[in-house]
Amino acid sequence: MALNLPDENERPEDRSPLLEVEDLHVEFRTRAGTAEAVNGVSFTVDRGETLAVMGESGSGKSVTAQAVMGILDMPPGAITGGSIRFCGRDLLGMSAEERRRVRGEGVSIIFQDALSALNPLFPVGWQIAEMFRVHRGASRSEANKRAVELMDRVHIPDARRRAGDYPHQFSGGMRQRIMIAMAIALDPGVLIADEPTTALDVTVQAQIMELLAELQEELGMALILITHDLGVVADVADRVAVMYGGRVVEYADVFDAYRRPAHPYTKGLLESIPRLDQVGSDLQAIGGTPPSLMDMPLGCAFHPRCHYRRETCVTTPPPMYTVGPERASACHFYQEVLDDHGDR
Amino acid sequence: MSEPASLTSSAGEAPRGLWDDAWDELKRRPIFWISAGLILVFILMAAFPQLFTRVDPRWADLSLSMEPPSSEHWFGTDRQGRDVYARTVYGARASIVVGLTATVLTTVLGGLLGMIAAYRGGWVDILISRGGEILLGLPFVLGAIIILSTFAGAQSDAGPATIMMLVIATLTALSWPMVARIARSAVYAVKSADYVNAARVLGAGPMRILFRHLLPNALAPIVVYGSLLIATFVSAEATLSFLGVGLRPPVISWGVAISESGDFIRQAFYLTLFPTIFLCATVLAFVLLGDAVRDALDPKLR
Amino acid sequence: MGRYALRRLLQAVPVVVGTTLLIYWMMWALPGDPFAGRCGERACPQDYIEAMNAQFMLDQPLLVQYSAYMANLVQFDFGVTYNMVPVSTLIAQALPVTLRLALIALAVEAVVGIVAGVIAGLRRNGYFDTLVFVSTLVALSVPIFVIARFAQWGLGVNLGWISPTVSNEATWAELLVPGAVIATTTTAVLARLARTTIAENLRADYVRTAIAKGLPRSRVIGVHVLRNSLIPLITLLGLDLGSLMVGAVVTEGIFNINGLGGLVYNHILRLDSTVVVPVATLFVLIYIFANLVVDLFYGVLDPRIRYE
Repeated sequence: MALNLPDENERPEDRSPLLEVEDLHVEFRTRAGTAEAVNGVSFTVDRGETLAVMGESGSGKSVTAQAVMGILDMPPGAITGGSIRFCGRDLLGMSAEERRRVRGEGVSIIFQDALSALNPLFPVGWQIAEMFRVHRGASRSEANKRAVELMDRVHIPDARRRAGDYPHQFSGGMRQRIMIAMAIALDPGVLIADEPTTALDVTVQAQIMELLAELQEELGMALILITHDLGVVADVADRVAVMYGGRVVEYADVFDAYRRPAHPYTKGLLESIPRLDQVGSDLQAIGGTPPSLMDMPLGCAFHPRCHYRRETCVTTPPPMYTVGPERASACHFYQEVLDDHGDR
Repeated sequence: MSEPASLTSSAGEAPRGLWDDAWDELKRRPIFWISAGLILVFILMAAFPQLFTRVDPRWADLSLSMEPPSSEHWFGTDRQGRDVYARTVYGARASIVVGLTATVLTTVLGGLLGMIAAYRGGWVDILISRGGEILLGLPFVLGAIIILSTFAGAQSDAGPATIMMLVIATLTALSWPMVARIARSAVYAVKSADYVNAARVLGAGPMRILFRHLLPNALAPIVVYGSLLIATFVSAEATLSFLGVGLRPPVISWGVAISESGDFIRQAFYLTLFPTIFLCATVLAFVLLGDAVRDALDPKLR
Repeated sequence: MGRYALRRLLQAVPVVVGTTLLIYWMMWALPGDPFAGRCGERACPQDYIEAMNAQFMLDQPLLVQYSAYMANLVQFDFGVTYNMVPVSTLIAQALPVTLRLALIALAVEAVVGIVAGVIAGLRRNGYFDTLVFVSTLVALSVPIFVIARFAQWGLGVNLGWISPTVSNEATWAELLVPGAVIATTTTAVLARLARTTIAENLRADYVRTAIAKGLPRSRVIGVHVLRNSLIPLITLLGLDLGSLMVGAVVTEGIFNINGLGGLVYNHILRLDSTVVVPVATLFVLIYIFANLVVDLFYGVLDPRIRYE
């Protein structure tokens, strides 16, 4: 049953990254046409690392997460290219049964709306215990005991009593904690958090992020945080992948990306947040609207909204330029963008 | 999840857009055209039976009793020697008139009462909702059997028009609460929406608010339910007539014809067969139409 | 749960009172002579009129009348037929047959309807789904009395597989075909609902979670999807009882089954409402009661309602 997680004692050169997504392509085929939701996305994450995936809705970040998790609705969705490797094993080439075992044990996910993500008709303790009963073959009482321990661990007060309650009897924050408890039950290598705090109050958001950070440290798992909250990214992420129109347009260390963005879209995002140190200056919103996935602009997908636009941008889609070590940008004129930000 | 959903959803929020989309959706379905065509034929048959036969359905020639189908009498003749084809054609009128009239009355009455209940609230709402609940406690054909059989004895000398009105009134009386419930919840959902409040502040009267602002919201679910209701009513009318509490001779009706032919099913199966085919084709056409309308107006179910 | 059950019970009271009052009013209190045309072709016999006057206090004010009527109803006393046989005797004789028939019909409906609908919902747009779609369409378009006629003629008279009429014993075997006939419409409705419910639930967020948890497909569907789909199906089973009852009236009449439906059918033919109305009233009460039970069961199945 155990998955061959890489041994800590292995020699570094033998180790491939824990999760490695390469040139992933996902399409949605609907009556209205084919939409390229993910168009060549690559990234890696390793144990203990936090990768933030940022972008507007429709940028393909959730679809990427679903493809990694193997919960994409197929059809209409279809993975048309690329590879997803977990511990060096290709997830896309696996049998359905092998793939199922990776879910929950190797990679797990929490969603934005915990109320609809939990089954309304079963007690939350039962839903957590189900992980142990199915994956570990644990007895009912053993699984229940473990479920209560997990609820304690995610700081749900009075866990033993509340394990018998149903999802609708909890507050939004508590429900998200239950989702987290379920996701970490089997000690997965990677936890994907798909906008975990978007539906919550601001104070609760902070508590949930704190919990995620705490658990990541304890368990040493990799965290993929999908969000459009730039503040959260700055707080917890190590690296960031900025997505636009189904592509990663900038891939960088968080510090670098925030200090000196290498893509006009990242730059626009950063300029659209209010800064305390620049009181009085105007906020810069990004003009225009995100592209329709059905009808991508030719060339660079961002060109209709871009200040750096030239002739090339309209005709030629930019490749991923290597900007520095572990740093890439999909902009023909990344150097200009970098230079513009030098004074900031 | 949100990404693929936003790709496929094309239905607009405005009522105008909803109806346009629904029509576009309907136009593309062959089933819609087939059922609409069938229904058109039956409506023509109900309105102008002379177009389909020149034979008088009441003309009896006892010397021609129980003739099997022939080139002279396509569907044969019944025991009184009447032409079954003519009687089957003329039978469309009862089904179509009862089905359509009862549906229109039910949706209008139920829709109005439901909207008023939601709009006025208070004791009006309680009265309408509770009253409706009582009627919903009666399974509707069973309720119709009770109502019609108490009247049937007392009004045994009633003319065809009176009997038909009685059947229509009974079906309507028992079915409006479901429509009212649908209309009520649809109106309730938008009753305190900003645009309604805005209209109120701008001095729109209750009638204007009801018809201009609240009705469009309730219309789609009512139309969906109503289009499914026609088939139920046609079938219910036939069942009641078959039982002998609905339409009765001299009204010419498929239910009555099937009921009368029962005694001769061994010798003359065609007597049962032809009215049955017409009845089932009518119900089928309305079921198909109702399905198509529902699918078109309720994108959620697609 | 207790509070929910109590509230639901209290809600049923006005419905029962309202329904019985309505039926009562139509039966005895409409303007004109309540006995006119009640007993079929001829006038009601004098001793019947006297007996009913005595039992239902027809010379008293409406409220007293109604109380007397309800008091009788609670004791399962439905008055007498015009030849002075207590209606309750007729009902007692007919009840076992109808119960057997109802059980067969419900079993056919639940098993065939749910199985067909669930499979169709799981394999949407497949071969089986199309088959279910077409057969439900046919079942919905052909009224039950037509199906009963054709079953009797085809299976009984032509092929001789079943007896065209059911004997007085009305054994389980004899009732199988009539029971299935009664269930046709409701089976089709149930299958369609099961199909859309399953299809809708398959797209629900909690199913995505169940898959993400790494549960085997059999468990995702068998535990999560089915459990959540059960609630609307059970509700429909209760509401369908109404059309099952009407089906029973028609089918028992056609197959000459001596059940409650046959009782109604035969007395409708004689225009004798002294039996039709009380038996139909009993049907209505059973219907209301059954839906009350379904609602209580609903509370057991859905915690969101239980703890409201």
